[in-house]
Amino acid sequence: MWFEDIPLGVKLTLGSYTFTEENIIAFGKRYDPQPFHIDKDAASHSVYGGLIASGWHTAAVWMKLMMAERHTRVAAGAEETQENYVSPGVRELRWLKPVRPGTTLTYTNETFAKLDWKSRPQFGLLEGKNEARDEAGELYYSFINRVLIARKP
Amino acid sequence: MGEAELLHFEDFRSGQIFRLGRLTLTAEEVIAFAREFDPQPQHTDPQAAKHSMLGGLAASGWHLGALAMRMMVDGLFIRATSMGAPGVDEIQWRRPVLVGDTIRLEGEVLDTRLSSRPDRGFVRFRFSMLREEERRNGELVMMFVCSVMFRRRTTG
Repeated sequence: MWFEDIPLGVKLTLGSYTFTEENIIAFGKRYDPQPFHIDKDAASHSVYGGLIASGWHTAAVWMKLMMAERHTRVAAGAEETQENYVSPGVRELRWLKPVRPGTTLTYTNETFAKLDWKSRPQFGLLEGKNEARDEAGELYYSFINRVLIARKP
Repeated sequence: MGEAELLHFEDFRSGQIFRLGRLTLTAEEVIAFAREFDPQPQHTDPQAAKHSMLGGLAASGWHLGALAMRMMVDGLFIRATSMGAPGVDEIQWRRPVLVGDTIRLEGEVLDTRLSSRPDRGFVRFRFSMLREEERRNGELVMMFVCSVMFRRRTTG
């Protein structure tokens, strides 16, 4: 499948992930050791009133679920664009609500724009709108991803 | 460090530059992050990575973001009243960062503004991750613009 073949407005459910005290603290200790990400007691006295996940943790989980969903789809025989997912960047990351232990977020992706990418004209740039919501449908996190996809030779 | 010595909202002004540390990327770390969050051959498989568009075993972009966060915490937030960030305007991954590369992070204050909540204000930074090289010192590999909330010294 080439850049030209990709339809816009296609929404995929990527999967779900449960944030736990253990995985929040493990990520926080490695990459974001602020008290409200690594220490239950200190977090309870912070502005957040308790432990919350690092925003980079919420963001990295999107990638994890995106890859797992794609793997499942390819294993089921779906035609894919290319082996590797190369992105020049992302935009408008919004951490809208603190993610607390016990929260399960379901991530979705919707293709919404196709743009030229001048520095690599053999590729097109696909933008997708991404959201993470809890079981009640509350929006916790959103951003726009961008991926380079080969054009028809 | 006492509360008074911590950097508060009032201590930031546009044009300030903070140097936030440096590190050398190891294969173990790149592979460990990628196995958990971004399992693609260019991040997990040194042989396959040689033939990828990135030209070698490269860190996931999300790994670079997480490493930048770590440098922000160790280099600045540890001596400041950070209250977290509501988002990032934009992240650009400009160049692949390969195992063995040494990177450093700089944060430049773009502007500051008060929040509608009286206890805090926003400081907007441009964070630049630079690769140190023998010939071209300071090649930009990643850039992001992010507003961070800091507590105010005086409220109201």
